[in-house]
Amino acid sequence: MGNWVKYIRKYGLSFGVAFLLVAMEAACDLLQPTLLARMIDEGVATLDRTAVLRYGGYMLLVTAVGAIAASGRNIVSSQVSQRFGSELRSDLYRHIQSLSLRNLDRFDRASLVTRLTNDVTQLQNFVNGMMRIFAKAPILCIGSLVMAIRLNPRLSLVLVVVVPVVGALIALNIRIGFPMFLRVQAAMDRLNGIMREYLAGVRVVKAFNRFAGESEKFGRVNEEFRRSSANAMRRMAVFNPAILLTVNFGIVAVIWLGGLRVDGGSMQVGHIVAFVNYMTQILFSLMLISMVFNMLVRAKASVGRMQEVLSVRDETTWQEDAGRLLDGSGRVDFERVSFSYNGPVGAPALKGIDLSVRPGETIGIIGSTGSGKSTLVGLVPRLHDATEGAVKLDGVDVRLLDPKLVRDRVAVVPQKPMLFSGTILDNIRWGREDATEEEVAEAARMAAAHDFIAALPEGYRTKLGQGGVNLSGGQKQRISIARALVRKPRVLILDDCTSAVDVATEAAIKEALRSYARGLTCLLIAQRITSVMDADRILVLEGGEVAGIGDHETLLRECRIYQEIYRSQIGEEMHSDGVRA
Amino acid sequence: MASEREQGAGRPNPPAVPLVPGRPPGGGRGAPVQKAKDRAGTLKRLWSYIGRERKWLAVVFALILADSGLTLAGPYLIGVSVDAISGPSGGGVDFGLLEAALIGLTAAYVGDAFLTWLQGWLMAGVSQRIVKSLREALFAKLHKLPLAYFDTRRHGEIMSRLSNDIDNVSTTVSQTTSQLMSGVIAIAGSLVMMLALSPLLTLASLITVPLVYLLARTIAKRTSSLFREQQATLGQLNGQIEETISGIEAVKAFNREDKVIEGFEDANRKLRDVGIRAQIWSGFLMPLLSVINNIGFAAVAIVGGMLAVKGMVTVGVIASFISYSRQFVRPLNDLANVYNVLQSGLAGAERVFEAMDEKEEAEDAAGSVRLTAPRGEVEFENVTFGYCPDAPIVRGMSFRAKAGESVALVGPTGAGKTTVVNLLTRFYETTGGRILIDGRDIREYTRDSLRGVFGIVLQDTYLFSGTIKDNIKYGREDATDEEVREAAAAANADAFIRQLPKGYDTELSENGGNLSQGQRQLLAIARVVLAKPSILILDEATSSIDTRTERHIQEALLHIMRGRTTFIIAHRLNTIRDADAIMVIDKGTIREKGSHDELMRKQGDYYRMFRNQFKNIVQEA
Repeated sequence: MGNWVKYIRKYGLSFGVAFLLVAMEAACDLLQPTLLARMIDEGVATLDRTAVLRYGGYMLLVTAVGAIAASGRNIVSSQVSQRFGSELRSDLYRHIQSLSLRNLDRFDRASLVTRLTNDVTQLQNFVNGMMRIFAKAPILCIGSLVMAIRLNPRLSLVLVVVVPVVGALIALNIRIGFPMFLRVQAAMDRLNGIMREYLAGVRVVKAFNRFAGESEKFGRVNEEFRRSSANAMRRMAVFNPAILLTVNFGIVAVIWLGGLRVDGGSMQVGHIVAFVNYMTQILFSLMLISMVFNMLVRAKASVGRMQEVLSVRDETTWQEDAGRLLDGSGRVDFERVSFSYNGPVGAPALKGIDLSVRPGETIGIIGSTGSGKSTLVGLVPRLHDATEGAVKLDGVDVRLLDPKLVRDRVAVVPQKPMLFSGTILDNIRWGREDATEEEVAEAARMAAAHDFIAALPEGYRTKLGQGGVNLSGGQKQRISIARALVRKPRVLILDDCTSAVDVATEAAIKEALRSYARGLTCLLIAQRITSVMDADRILVLEGGEVAGIGDHETLLRECRIYQEIYRSQIGEEMHSDGVRA
Repeated sequence: MASEREQGAGRPNPPAVPLVPGRPPGGGRGAPVQKAKDRAGTLKRLWSYIGRERKWLAVVFALILADSGLTLAGPYLIGVSVDAISGPSGGGVDFGLLEAALIGLTAAYVGDAFLTWLQGWLMAGVSQRIVKSLREALFAKLHKLPLAYFDTRRHGEIMSRLSNDIDNVSTTVSQTTSQLMSGVIAIAGSLVMMLALSPLLTLASLITVPLVYLLARTIAKRTSSLFREQQATLGQLNGQIEETISGIEAVKAFNREDKVIEGFEDANRKLRDVGIRAQIWSGFLMPLLSVINNIGFAAVAIVGGMLAVKGMVTVGVIASFISYSRQFVRPLNDLANVYNVLQSGLAGAERVFEAMDEKEEAEDAAGSVRLTAPRGEVEFENVTFGYCPDAPIVRGMSFRAKAGESVALVGPTGAGKTTVVNLLTRFYETTGGRILIDGRDIREYTRDSLRGVFGIVLQDTYLFSGTIKDNIKYGREDATDEEVREAAAAANADAFIRQLPKGYDTELSENGGNLSQGQRQLLAIARVVLAKPSILILDEATSSIDTRTERHIQEALLHIMRGRTTFIIAHRLNTIRDADAIMVIDKGTIREKGSHDELMRKQGDYYRMFRNQFKNIVQEA
């Protein structure tokens, strides 16, 4: 719970002020009936007009003070709860952003979104509700208890039974409600998950005409959410009447016991009436308290879910001063690198990869689907860390380096272009925030994207939808390349990022890179052998292991797998009439 | 639960400008002027969902009515018991009467608790059912929306309507419904009692009613627009969060954490600021109401005092009158509060209905027929399409594909190849010309049956969470395990699936994250193979697959292409050379058309493209 102390420290004072204001409000509320009684007794009963006006004036004065206190409390509590909620959300978001992909994979993405929105809201509602009535209810409750006990200690024995029973009911409420609300929030996660998936895959849903199936899936989760919410609410619905009934039984007992004592001559009827009045006051305040606890139950479930995220410590480590060792050469070494997505025990995705990439060298990487190409290059910018062996940048083990430092020098163009909603300009500037429009256009030109961007009615200011949906696959890839180029990295990683680009365009991009990339270390994954055959060296991966390394000619002579790939793509073409011409 | 909620209202439209001063005729009860019509409309639509539960709501109303009787019985029976203890004119305690009264009291209390519980129990069901049907209706609506709707919005923003906004409606319904009912009953009851006691004093205490009304209206006017803004901001924040969490890999790769946090903070701050204002405004209601109440008490006391001087009322009447007017005021306050909470619910409802009012994909034309097992003859007749008329993406395109023919579309990126496919499947509607399948305009077929005949492998493969089997079965749900395996084998996916620890029952993480891009594409192909479509569309279906694997897939594809009209979009020209017809598309028009050999002989665009692709090899060879 260490995470929460800072909020208490920060908002404790304001909370205290709200507490005082609520106490003042409660005091004014308590004064009102007395003033009214005196107005009736001293003014109306004796037909004394000045007394009526005087007490009327006092009443208004007390009302005004109460209203001021309540308004002040309202301002303070609104500020505190909203600020607290927004700060908590911000801390949670920052924390999530700081975690490594490996840590994040423990959570469903949709669930993270729910935790950042709905769960924060639940806690915020609780804080606000608590500040509104927290002070008031206990003050009224304790005040009435004290008054009742002073009035008649004997009758108070009834309270000795009633109060613990009510306490037990509230405790039971939390105990039962907590897991139920956990279930509600989990159902909310699933609802969000289905929704999120539907939105991301809407094209497939439409293409396969699967509305019915999706509706059914959604209907199931929706029904599950309904059931868990209704169940939780129904369980909760028991406790208020139960508390009501307990206190009311207390009232019956007081009257009965009081009757016996009055019969014995040791008590007056008036005491019973007053005692019952206090019991009613206690009942009222207990209902308020139980309302706060109802919110507490929900909030507790949400706090647990947030805590779960907050308690994940980022396992990425580095040495602060290792950055000085980077000489900016752009050399990359893989030394006996093995990697498994499931830690040392899992099935290895890479096994004993050895490769040294000299500064400025272009390495082509080729291999069949699932052979570990993307995994291998992902180790350089520390998207994942090698399970065994070491990946070195400029001769420094990347695990000693701050990931930020590495990623500043290494730019990745992923297989799947991830574009964000915003303008094309914004998307390219993802690579480097302070790039001028000139530089952005320059990068776009190299990525063969400038022409089609410029042809759009709004050019670089064209707005993209989430994921860049309004562009074709090849256009997205080219913007994604421009984004990496504008970064002016030392090491450029192209992960099969021209698969949807036509050949002429690809050739243009490669030509531009060749002139720009002089001195730039480049790792180039591709499916087409033509894309990699002019690389300085080519790494052939098969099943996570190196199947061959060398230039095109060497591999063509010596590497069986490379020969197969070559034949599958080009062998046939060589015999085609067109090429022979 | 507290009336203030963090979630409030709003929609992305610019804030409404108060147009007409004064109340429009027939405007909603106490609705703020500038939004009266919308609010009333929203309320009415909301009622169409709430109204489905009117049977249960009537039961709840009956329970509340009965409970009000029991609540009144309590004080009365206490009075009787006290009288019994005092005894008839100072005698001893009348235990017989006391016992009877206490038994009655106990029964009343038990009844009250039971009715209160039953009420809460029923309302939980009612409110959750209402919310469920609302959510269902919104989700069903999503199916009818055109792709353009999804393409122009952040997913998180749409999600927010389905979760946060509907949640707001839910809270409002469950909080206010019983309060509204019991409030009306209590007000009616005390009003009758007060009128019976003294019509003049009743008039005096009614002074507060217009004040309460004015106050509630003034505050609701503020809060309704603030809530609306709050819901809209919440939607934006949700969109921001969802997008950056979904794309966190890119965020990390580009060191963009600080930047996305900055964007998040912006939205978060906006939400906080509007949240504070909304909460403060709605929080003012209660303290100000208590000021009005106390003014009311003072008025009754003063008027009462003067009437008493004139001998028109007794002191006792004034005393009980004040206690009745207290009973009158409490539910009045509750109603004012309900009105305020309602604003927040309506703000949510408004955003839900706003999505429901979005323009749908065009309805099937009257008399449209189902398309079943077509021969697969496709014809484009002078087809034109553009998002805006002055920038057509496809212009005057005409071609014909005979049944069973394979047609390849080639051309530079952005030439309009995918658009041709989108037009054929009616993801987009043509803006000119027409498309025929088996000699009939595709707009004359029902949309569902039309899409049913296509098997599409898209550029962006998308897999759903679930097992591999589920994902392949997406193509045809009633397929047997054997058929699934056959389809996977045909797509050359069987081998790698079997290597997975759990084979076909392997759970895919979100969007198939635990598979490589190529493996995902194999699954997408298996999905289509299983669907056995009449017309096949392969949109860069094999671009992320290595060429050795691709060869195997091509064999499989050739197999399923047999007898099916097929459209292939590809950049690797060697993958399409066997197509019956190749169309070179550029800038939305067909530049060349013919078989591979014909086009090579022609030495036009295709010839140049083909040569270009193998230039390197030719140079080296």
